[in-house]
Amino acid sequence: MSSLKLLQDLVAHDDRVWCVKWNPTGTLLASCGSDKKIVLWGEEEGKWVAKVHLTEAHERTIRAVAWSPTGTYLASCSFDKTICIWKRDDTGVFGAIATLEGHENEVKCVAWSVSGEYLASCSRDKTVWIWSCEYDDEYDCLSVLHSHSQDVKKICWSPVEDVLVSCSYDNTVKCFKDDGDDWTCTDTLTGHESTVWAVAFDGTGKRLVTCSDDRTVKIWQRFNALDNSASQKPGWHCVCTLSGYHDRAIFDVDWSAIHGAIVSTGADDCIRIFEENLTAQDPLREPEFFAAASMPRAHSQDVNAVSWNPVRGHLLASCSDDGLVKIWTYARPE
Amino acid sequence: MDGFSGTLRLTDLNDFIAPTQECIKPVKIERKSGKLSAIKITSSGDYAEVDSHGVETKLVKAQITLNDCLACSGCVTSAETVLIQLQSAEELCRVLDENAKVSAAERKLVVVSVSAQAFASLANRYQLTMKECEEKFCGFLRSMGVDRVYDMGAASALALKETQREFVDRYRSGDRKSALPMLTSACPGWICYAEKTHGLFILPFISTTKSPQQIMGSLVKNHLAEHQCKSPSQIYHVTVMMCYDKKLEASRDDFYDDLYRTRDVDCVVTSLEVEQMLEQRNLVLSQCESVPLDRLPGVESSFHAVGGGAGGYLENILSFAAKELFQTEIGPIEYKVIRNQDFREVTISVNGEPKLHFAAAYGFRNIQNIVQKMKRGKCPYDFVEIMACPSACLNGGGQIRPPDPSVAKIWLQNVQQLFDSLDCQKLENVQWVQQLYDAWIGPQDDDRKRLQLLHTQYHSLENKSNALNIKW
Repeated sequence: MSSLKLLQDLVAHDDRVWCVKWNPTGTLLASCGSDKKIVLWGEEEGKWVAKVHLTEAHERTIRAVAWSPTGTYLASCSFDKTICIWKRDDTGVFGAIATLEGHENEVKCVAWSVSGEYLASCSRDKTVWIWSCEYDDEYDCLSVLHSHSQDVKKICWSPVEDVLVSCSYDNTVKCFKDDGDDWTCTDTLTGHESTVWAVAFDGTGKRLVTCSDDRTVKIWQRFNALDNSASQKPGWHCVCTLSGYHDRAIFDVDWSAIHGAIVSTGADDCIRIFEENLTAQDPLREPEFFAAASMPRAHSQDVNAVSWNPVRGHLLASCSDDGLVKIWTYARPE
Repeated sequence: MDGFSGTLRLTDLNDFIAPTQECIKPVKIERKSGKLSAIKITSSGDYAEVDSHGVETKLVKAQITLNDCLACSGCVTSAETVLIQLQSAEELCRVLDENAKVSAAERKLVVVSVSAQAFASLANRYQLTMKECEEKFCGFLRSMGVDRVYDMGAASALALKETQREFVDRYRSGDRKSALPMLTSACPGWICYAEKTHGLFILPFISTTKSPQQIMGSLVKNHLAEHQCKSPSQIYHVTVMMCYDKKLEASRDDFYDDLYRTRDVDCVVTSLEVEQMLEQRNLVLSQCESVPLDRLPGVESSFHAVGGGAGGYLENILSFAAKELFQTEIGPIEYKVIRNQDFREVTISVNGEPKLHFAAAYGFRNIQNIVQKMKRGKCPYDFVEIMACPSACLNGGGQIRPPDPSVAKIWLQNVQQLFDSLDCQKLENVQWVQQLYDAWIGPQDDDRKRLQLLHTQYHSLENKSNALNIKW
């Protein structure tokens, strides 16, 4: 039997907490929220403690944070229309080194590419921006993508190549790639019946998981022209829909690159974990996922984000409108 | 909003209504015929209609969705929207029809000025050479009742000439920090974005020289009017442009003459709308009669500037400035591409020392980098040719679309080739430009007429931070 257990409540925020993200080595957890601050949590003698408070960079709610692949940089984005870049110096102290302006209104998400070469951001202004990250800490805008017709909620990069995926209030998920001179939309994934709140890649970059206001989680797989395993045309296809598990909007999903479990959470205050049924795996059939664990009332209000620790795979972080960050331990099925 | 440049679309023309304002979104009301009925509030708080038989029907609420709100231009910019409705092919046809009905004394002189980019778009669509296209399109307009058809060479020449002068003045002003980089002003999408989002900071750097469209407006409503002994309001002036944003430009208060109640450009029609006009009449441009273009008084030949589809600002200002400021003749310009084809720079060195640093930045992403570099005090350029559309004006939002999006690149290349087939000249090699300038504007030191006819101003329209607009 698998199980999900609360390890610790982390108290430091004075208002709703919007996002939690582990650094690449899994030693620091960053959280941010409506109190306009970022808290970095580290482990000391088995307890997670607030080590650093980063404040005064944003004038309004900080909606999301993202670590660079080396963990040297942290990007934060805010409803004040800006993105702030924080850099860790040799002594481990983080300082704000750049503010990126350009979005017309609330910036909803930021993400670094796996190469560290690009930063992407998205906003209620319906655009997705791609920025280049130069060695001298100069950030230039490489592209402004107008593909979505509504508010763009979240973005994430493939773990293996420079492919960006975004999801929106327009119910779609879109993929972007550099065509040599500019970034272009290569695929549009349709199927969700309402706002797509979040999207995440698996560890191989061949699959995506999305979650929506329509209360479903969907798994998508990319088929290449060479894959003669299925009758699918090349491109992204929905291969599994998980419905009936959440009875309200699902706000976030994360897919562990270590053990392949998917975590989802949302407005029903519940955290759920799904595992793939690998025994039933047959290349000619669609994958099967089953609910492996769940934690009803994980928080006392909406759960806004969940994040798997990228090194210590059993650790899971969540955050909520109730102002708390929580760390959970997950024991996988035997 | 579809036809407008991406830059313009990003500037929140249709943002959410503030709760204090009244929503003007029209809602369709189903009116059923029948006897009078009463409306009552039910115990559950719904509204119900009660007919004469006492039967209750629950009434449906009028719903305004976010989508309605975003698609509605009722808030913020209703004034602009109304002005743009006056800028359509239908309006042009209406004016021509009316003109045909009134007495000779009341008739307006209908003048159409066509940009070279629009000619290139039409020539590509109808498989004509540039020359053929000019004459066929002129013939078509004449058959509709248009009195004069001009190209915009003279306006383009005067715009370049005045921009050259403005750049050199700014360079010499001594206060380089507040005067440079000088940013071009010919692109209305860029101007709208600058005014709405970077107002007070960026506007002082923007060239005050009018765009070719608006100089054409002054030429027609002032120079031509005087020559024809007409008042500006007796001329109806239409431009055919590559870009929807030009409609916004023509609608600006700065180009409205209070005294005569007339605009320098009364109506802007895009290449795309011309295609629709022809299609509505079941016409193909090649079947139209060929009629040579008219020439404005003082314009002795056609003029097409070297330096590409964005008006040739960078090249013409650079060669003039090198000569005027450093007594250096520059040869063919070698661009260095920065990041993408739409962001290029040129450096002119004198005795091995870099002196002039110019750039061309097209498309929103590159505009963004220039603006942010300026804000950080790290912009290395003296002059930037800025255009809102990727690939600049030949790719304008008002140009005729390819039959299939998959051939868009080749389609644009063909338009580019047609445009490049024009016989391009350097400004200083065209004699009549100086003569026209002198005859129309007067002596170089008469600033009053020069500023009135060739310059304009910009207005900061930055969003006031209204507490009611803030969500969360």
